Amino acid sequence: MNEKLIKYISEQLLNNELEDDLEAEDDLLGDGILDSLGMMKLILYIETEYEMKVPPQDMIIENFMTVQHISDYLAKQRS
Amino acid sequence: MKRNYKALTQSQLSIWTGQQLNPEAPLYNMAHSFDIEGFIDNESFKTAFDQLIDRAEVLRTVFSVIDGIPVQSIQTGCEKTIEILDFSSKKPKEIKNWMKRRSQINFDFTKPLFDSVLIKVNEQRHFWFLNIHHLVTDATTSTILYKLQVELYKSIVEGSTPKIKDVPAFDDYLVYKAIQKKLPISQTIRDHWKTKIDSLTVPLKIYGKQCSATTSLANRVSLKLGVDRSKRLKDLASRSEIRSWTQDLTLFNLFTTAIFTYLHRVSGQQKFAIGAPSHNRSTKSFKRTPGLFIEIFPLLSDFEDKDTFFSVLEKVKLETNDYLKNAQPGMSSPELSRSFNVVLNYINVAFPDFNGMPMQSEWIHPEHCDPGHQLRCHVYDMNASGDIEVHFDLNNDVFHESLQNEIPQHFLKVLDALIEDVNQSIYEPSLIDKVSAIDLQPISEFIPIIKQFELQAIQTPDATALSFKNTSYTYQELNQKANQFANYLLTKGINSEKRVAVHLERSPEYIVAVLGILKTGASFIPISSDQPSQRVSYILEDSNCHFILTNNRLVDNITSTQIPYLNLDDDPSNLLHESIEFKCQDSLQDSLAYMIYTSGSTGNPKGVLISNKAICNYLNWAKSYYATKEKFVFPLFTSVGFDLTITSTFLPLITGGELIVYSEADHGPDISLMEVLAQNKVNSIKLTPSHLALIRGADMQHSNIKTMIVGGEDFKVNIAQSIQNSFSEDLRIYNEYGPTEATVGCIAGQYTANHTEASVPIGTSISGMSGLVLDSNYNQVPAGVVGELHLSGFGLAEGYCKLADLTSEKFVTNPFNPEFKMYRTGDLVRLNEFDEFEYLGRVDEQVKLRGFRLELTDVEANLLTHNNVQNAAVVIIENEKVIPEHEVVNCSNCGLPSNYPNTDFDEHGVCHVCNAFEGYKDQAQKYFKSEKELRNILTSQRGKSPNYDCISLLSGGKDSTYILAQLINMGLRVLAFTLDNGYISEQAKENIDRIVSKLEVDHIYGTTEHMNAIFVDSLHRHQNVCNGCFKTIYTLSTQIALAKQIPYVVTGLSRGQFFETRLTEELFWDENAGVSTIDDTILEARKLYHQEEDAVKELIDVSMFDYDDTFNKVQFIDFYRYSDVTLDEMLRFLKEKVDWVRPTDTGRSTNCLINQLGIYVHKKEKGYSNYSFPYSWDVRIGHKTRTETLEEINEVIDEKEVKRIADEIGYQMSEKSELKQKNLVCYYTGEKTSSAELAKHLKQALPEYMVPSYFKYVEKLPLTKNGKVDKAQLKMLSTSQLDTETPFVAPNGDIEELIGGIWKEVLRLKQVSVHDNFIALGGHSLAAIRVTARINEEIEMKFPLSKIFEFPTIIEYANYIEETLTKLLDEQD
Repeated sequence: MNEKLIKYISEQLLNNELEDDLEAEDDLLGDGILDSLGMMKLILYIETEYEMKVPPQDMIIENFMTVQHISDYLAKQRS
Repeated sequence: MKRNYKALTQSQLSIWTGQQLNPEAPLYNMAHSFDIEGFIDNESFKTAFDQLIDRAEVLRTVFSVIDGIPVQSIQTGCEKTIEILDFSSKKPKEIKNWMKRRSQINFDFTKPLFDSVLIKVNEQRHFWFLNIHHLVTDATTSTILYKLQVELYKSIVEGSTPKIKDVPAFDDYLVYKAIQKKLPISQTIRDHWKTKIDSLTVPLKIYGKQCSATTSLANRVSLKLGVDRSKRLKDLASRSEIRSWTQDLTLFNLFTTAIFTYLHRVSGQQKFAIGAPSHNRSTKSFKRTPGLFIEIFPLLSDFEDKDTFFSVLEKVKLETNDYLKNAQPGMSSPELSRSFNVVLNYINVAFPDFNGMPMQSEWIHPEHCDPGHQLRCHVYDMNASGDIEVHFDLNNDVFHESLQNEIPQHFLKVLDALIEDVNQSIYEPSLIDKVSAIDLQPISEFIPIIKQFELQAIQTPDATALSFKNTSYTYQELNQKANQFANYLLTKGINSEKRVAVHLERSPEYIVAVLGILKTGASFIPISSDQPSQRVSYILEDSNCHFILTNNRLVDNITSTQIPYLNLDDDPSNLLHESIEFKCQDSLQDSLAYMIYTSGSTGNPKGVLISNKAICNYLNWAKSYYATKEKFVFPLFTSVGFDLTITSTFLPLITGGELIVYSEADHGPDISLMEVLAQNKVNSIKLTPSHLALIRGADMQHSNIKTMIVGGEDFKVNIAQSIQNSFSEDLRIYNEYGPTEATVGCIAGQYTANHTEASVPIGTSISGMSGLVLDSNYNQVPAGVVGELHLSGFGLAEGYCKLADLTSEKFVTNPFNPEFKMYRTGDLVRLNEFDEFEYLGRVDEQVKLRGFRLELTDVEANLLTHNNVQNAAVVIIENEKVIPEHEVVNCSNCGLPSNYPNTDFDEHGVCHVCNAFEGYKDQAQKYFKSEKELRNILTSQRGKSPNYDCISLLSGGKDSTYILAQLINMGLRVLAFTLDNGYISEQAKENIDRIVSKLEVDHIYGTTEHMNAIFVDSLHRHQNVCNGCFKTIYTLSTQIALAKQIPYVVTGLSRGQFFETRLTEELFWDENAGVSTIDDTILEARKLYHQEEDAVKELIDVSMFDYDDTFNKVQFIDFYRYSDVTLDEMLRFLKEKVDWVRPTDTGRSTNCLINQLGIYVHKKEKGYSNYSFPYSWDVRIGHKTRTETLEEINEVIDEKEVKRIADEIGYQMSEKSELKQKNLVCYYTGEKTSSAELAKHLKQALPEYMVPSYFKYVEKLPLTKNGKVDKAQLKMLSTSQLDTETPFVAPNGDIEELIGGIWKEVLRLKQVSVHDNFIALGGHSLAAIRVTARINEEIEMKFPLSKIFEFPTIIEYANYIEETLTKLLDEQD
């Protein structure tokens, strides 16, 4: 799952312009990799791709800080 | 060279269009000045800029129009470059002014859209001015270009290679957007936005201002939050419960919360949209691309009562996430843009220093703005100084200059409160600084009015003071009479401590009495002659009055009290021998002058205590305000108990004028108004708008009335206009506002032709009084904003008589000047731009429909613009209070649900029907008989019937199956009949076939091709299918019985159904009446039942029912009238003897598949099942248990199946549900006009939700005793009455009122019109029995049942009764 997310972020949101490759542990918002618009685009992508809805109360930094956090969150949702 | 033309993006297109609409206005110029502290090498700067032009396509983009369509293209080279100017001789301020002017140039679109200037201030300071048209730039673009210029300049002066990646082309974005647009998700997103804005219906009206602007001129008013406040805001943003994805998003949310709250507070609106630009740069490379990326999408507010800043923020968080998710490139549209007129532009970009030199940027406002955006709020910190700036661009057309300066301050009050305590109510902060203590100045010294009158009598003793018919009194005569009266009162112990009631018609005696009372220092209590005696007694008792003045005609009203009185008709010598001299008592300012009773919410009137000072304050003001060269000549023609009448009563008498008294007619004040106008003796008049509506359109060119004071209710501009037109030009019309509690009038203004709003403004505060517009937190609201009017000053009443709690609730301490009390009027007002108060209705009448506040006066005013409408009143009619399903309780005895209309439960939870039944239960027993009697009846005609003794109606259900078996058991020859209505379940049919074969009985299935039409009709008429089905069964079985000469048809109606359909309590009232009388009445009712116009009568042959003989040839026998079997016994019998199986294929206890449609429709439209009532009867008479019926009633309905059946039979499910809580209803006078026409007329000016659902023509609007429209009476009609086209006329006279009362009780109506049709109101044969029985009981007659259908309106029936009675009397003579 990490790879798929990294691929989407790197290609669609970052145009592969990040100096180093995106790591699953990178702080997406804190390191300025994504802004809030990018984050919501990512959520839209996740919702479409995984056919689910991220409820408003789940849209918190704790769930979406890094790609790893997102994967964990999604795994929990899908279990 | 062939140019590569590209279409414009949606954002570019809307800017292009906006620019075309305002070709001369520089409204889209985005100019920045970069104030660089340090040395700049001009040549290097120029070279850098030329390289920038090379690299950035936006600086070479030009626009042209091909075939009417705007296109953009990129020039290869550029003739434009940077201008270098030396302004070292100018002061920085002058340079700034120069840049401001320069920012306002108009670009030539066929050339590159930039203007770049490097200005030298001195060797160590330069301004770089860069102005680019918005078509090719946005805030991010500005920073991109600035940073590129810095890099290029640096590389040139350092001789290095610039560290710049290539600048991506805007074209890449266009390609990306085109792809995005084709993705399936795009349609979802478009739908999302459409749905979102569809929920909005009214544009935001800030400070009550207009919604559209004609100019693009706008001022920018700026606010710097300061480092401290900015830091506190950021600290707040970092709190875990506040923060969102990023600090910027959190700050954006906080600013959105603040601006939403601010807009809500200054508009009163709960649901509205603002626009917010999305930067739209979703990828890394787009973040580096110059060009116009932003698109504006709406953010919607959703306010509720009791919101705190935090609760608003929580909603905003969801809203902005939703916004970000759907803010996709290319998804904005002109339609979306039209949904808002306010833009919040949160900009999170910053300009760094210039190659190591400090730089301060400034965004220069070109003093123009898109007229579609009345208010733009930009929030940014472009210099990263930690001091957040908030700039408001405010349209000059919408906001005048002083308001423009106040707006940022109002916003700041909200923002500060949010920072201070995010958990406080959003209504806590006052938007404006507390007003300084009110300075109240009375216009002149308070000389008691009675003294003023006496002074006038000394000044002009021989002038006419009072006239009545052919008599008149000079001031001296009037004063002497009043003196005699005062002397008389002294003998009765009246002094300044006492109160004297005056219960008289309008007459000279009334005036003499009032003046006499005031002379003694006592206060008077006017009680008009039209008050009912009960109310008079209440007032006399409540007011602690010591003495009463009355006359022969009214003396009966006061006999119940022990208070001494004088009947003026008794012995005039009482007064005549009193002295004509009187030494007037000195009345103290605070002593009472009078007490007026106004209607109270408790049902009892409340006495308002008015001091001498208060009335003096008003009259002193009125004296000078209304003064002309002529002396006042006023008519006294309105009710003496009405505070409005005080003006006419006293104003002429303290100014040397004349008061002409008009006596009362029997039918209220209207006729005397006509008399006043016809006699044409007065030059001034005080009256209500409803009075004016009566004379609207009349030619009054020759009227002597020059001063018209209108008060008492909302005064529509429309009426004012037409009155002004029908009188001569020199008529001055004043609107005077004042609740009784603030003494006659306290706000007033003159109507002028400039008044174009719906209502004439009520004006400005009179001297000695002050009006404040406050919100529910006692915060004064800014001008233009709606709030509750509070009044302070010398004119306030002392309070209410004996109502200390109410007094302290309504008369509160003035928070702005604690020396004064403040009266809460309950009236909604706002201050217009001329500082006049505008009246907008009552606080308690404030209606919210779908979250929008509705002003009834607004609807009324718009109706008056229709030519056919003379006067109009709009009310909200709330339907029967609907009990939510989870709150429904069932009678502890019978199970009747509490949402059955007009149910009443006692303390044991027993319903009123059960309790009433207790009273006639024993009587009702006589109706029931034994099985033996049944057999006797059914065999009594054996000789006459060739084949069968009876038809047994067999539905296949348990009841009818049981009957059939029992009849066979009795040895009868039976023909079984079943109506195949098309929806009998298969298993039920199997049951039927098995049973008839097992019992060896002949059986017929009846059918009709019209069954579906009958169902549909029944659903419309009765909200069930059973009524139509039953009637079909009766009709078809009667046909068969007639054809086969069968004398009896046996029905399977349950005992509960008897009580539901034919046995009413009235039938058992007469204990001596025999059962045959009851049978006769029921038969009579059945005949009528077959005469009712419905689908059965229309579609099936019912001609046999026209012959009375049919009812003799075929008699209907209800089996269960003779059999008293319980459900248990029945089921046991069926199981053992008949092999009856409960059908399972209907999924319910019924054997009919369609009846669930009926139940569904009934529940939907009426809230309860159509079985609730008959089943409750089954329980009441012991045929079922409560539990059994509740189980059956609560069976699950298969909605899908119901809808399928509805489609199948062609029944359109109604959208209009009886349960709809509130209906907007309009009553109008004038010419009767179709509702569609009036609705269409209103729709031109009003949003859909403000258009009434009902328009009801009335001959005249009912008025209260005080001449105001009686809205309470108008609120009483039910929806079925509103649905009819008949005009509304209340019952009048004893007989009409009697019938009206009975109708109301039986048909459960709050109000009836004499033209209402009994059948249209849902009157069926059962109701006919009840109504007729009650009328017969009341007037001791025996009118036949059929008369009610012959004379189906109250007016016709009353005529019939009157004629009959007259005939009887004649015969007796």
